Amino acid sequence: MNIIEVKDLRKVYSNGYVSTVALDGVSFDVKEGEFLAIVGSSGCGKSTLMHILGLLDRPTSGFYNFGGKNVFEMSDDEAARVRNKKMGFVFQSFNLLPRTSIFNNVKLPLVYGGLSDEKEKEMVLSALESVGLKDKANNFSNQLSGGEQQRAAIARALVNHPAIIFADEPTGNLDSLSGQNVLELLQDLNDDGHTIILVTHEKYTSEMAQRIIEMKDGKIVLDEKVENRKLAKNGLIK
Amino acid sequence: MNLRDSIKTALISLKSNKTRSALTMLGIVIGISSVVTMVSIGNGAKQLIIGQFSTLGSNNIFIEPGSFSKKMEGNQGMQSMLEEMTIKTLKYEDYKAIEKDPLISKAAPLAFGAEKIFYKGNDFKVTYLGTTPEGINILNKAEFIYGNNFTEEDVKSLGRDVVLGYKVKETLFGEEDPIGKIVRIRGNNFRVIGSLDQQGTQMFMNLDEVIYLPITTAQKVILGVDHIQEIVAQAKDENRIEEAVESIRLTIRERHAIDNPEGDPAKDDFKVVSQKETAEILDTVISIFTMFLSSVAAIALLVGGIGIMNIMLVSVTERTKEIGLRKAVGARRSDVMTQFLIEALILTLIGGLIGIFFGLVFSLLASFILGAVLSISWQFSFPLNAVAWAFCVATAIGLVFGLYPARRASKLNPIEALRYE
Repeated sequence: MNIIEVKDLRKVYSNGYVSTVALDGVSFDVKEGEFLAIVGSSGCGKSTLMHILGLLDRPTSGFYNFGGKNVFEMSDDEAARVRNKKMGFVFQSFNLLPRTSIFNNVKLPLVYGGLSDEKEKEMVLSALESVGLKDKANNFSNQLSGGEQQRAAIARALVNHPAIIFADEPTGNLDSLSGQNVLELLQDLNDDGHTIILVTHEKYTSEMAQRIIEMKDGKIVLDEKVENRKLAKNGLIK
Repeated sequence: MNLRDSIKTALISLKSNKTRSALTMLGIVIGISSVVTMVSIGNGAKQLIIGQFSTLGSNNIFIEPGSFSKKMEGNQGMQSMLEEMTIKTLKYEDYKAIEKDPLISKAAPLAFGAEKIFYKGNDFKVTYLGTTPEGINILNKAEFIYGNNFTEEDVKSLGRDVVLGYKVKETLFGEEDPIGKIVRIRGNNFRVIGSLDQQGTQMFMNLDEVIYLPITTAQKVILGVDHIQEIVAQAKDENRIEEAVESIRLTIRERHAIDNPEGDPAKDDFKVVSQKETAEILDTVISIFTMFLSSVAAIALLVGGIGIMNIMLVSVTERTKEIGLRKAVGARRSDVMTQFLIEALILTLIGGLIGIFFGLVFSLLASFILGAVLSISWQFSFPLNAVAWAFCVATAIGLVFGLYPARRASKLNPIEALRYE
């Protein structure tokens, strides 16, 4: 079953003088449980596409169904609810809150979910355990290494058991070993059934996915299955 | 996001900028504490005046020499006061006429001044009040501890009898029984025939430092004059005080042969004021004064509110990325707005509570200082209404001045916010 259906998606940025076409008629589907990598050089529109898919931004025109629901018909609050319940985000710069413990950082999406304290605690600890950071729950984010911070961010993305995880250049700020750990984690999550959309400009990172969409100038220029899928646990071959 | 989480988040954010939060609160603290202090002092002043008037009863009418218009003419106040002192037209007979007025229950003439009273080696500066036996009862409600009042016979015969106020007796005689003892006032011997219990201040005069003489003795023996300085009358019916005042005016005009059919008080050589009227005027003056001072203090509060808004705007800008992240993980606009509003509210409420505390401390201090400086018993009044108002105002300020920054935060586009550096 398709979790994402996109047809002829367009996004035009306009500042009143100049219009820039960021997405120029993008169409594709994503199946549940799929691990998709979106690649392309800087400015090709891959981040814009991810933001629209993640309901953080609205397309100018086209058709987008998420989990069977037409995104155009969603109000801002409904979109917020979908982001909260169905989606997880991992950013290049981690985006952890300073002066806040890792536990509370991971808890952040649950704060907007209306669960009991007990349930929240259980979910946070289980998310932290799955990224191997249970013992650092009470540390502050600045007390963690870059790799640990990104793992904490992944724990935050999966704490709500989302259907899909969007990862925007998750290894961009990490050394190769930490990057490998993060990718391994994403592959494990995919094995557990999470749909994953990974945005990257690195070819070898994209080869961790099952399928690659390559973009150029706002258009999809390549959409293919990865023949020799690499596994992060086997080490990175550059 | 539930309220508890919002409050927790707000507290974390406020704690992480302790100095800034404290300085922001300071504006509210100063504003609220000055409003509370001003209102409390105003209330205290009102209570003081009500107290000073109420012990005397509320239906008193005072007749004095002089006229209204002269006092009103700007800087001639001093001159008209001197003129009043030289007006000699108010006579004992005027008092007699007023006493017969059917609207009046009691009346007393007054002749007074300040003199030293001597007994053996001791002396004491007192206010002497020459009046009738009834006059003492009208002015001083205290019981006689020793002896009795002087009599009508004393008034008729220029009797050299004197009644002492509580403090006069204590100072001159201590524990001794003063009855029958001879004291000297302005070279004349007087026999003490009574002394009164404590009464305290009334109409801003300490009645315990007063001695009472027969009116005629005060006039002729001490002052050496033929006129009287004031008449105190009591209206029979509290609801007909105005009528009584008018009736007194007519009586005295007739007796003084003043042709004044239009009732212009400027033409009279006397003035009649009811205590009720005086109290009402004073009450209004104090209310206006309190309002004026409070509004000056309220400006401080407004400035404090603007300070809050300013800091909240800085906070929103600083935390743009955080707002973006919160939105990305599912915060709705209302969640973000509530979070920042609660932060502003907490700032103002804590500031408000501290302000109320300092306001109460300052008004307590003020009540001590004013009491000591003016040597009156200034009652500290807990300004419950001002405290309640201050609390509401602090909340309102938090809401009003927090709203704009909070709205700004809630409207941020998550993508732009996340990209913000």
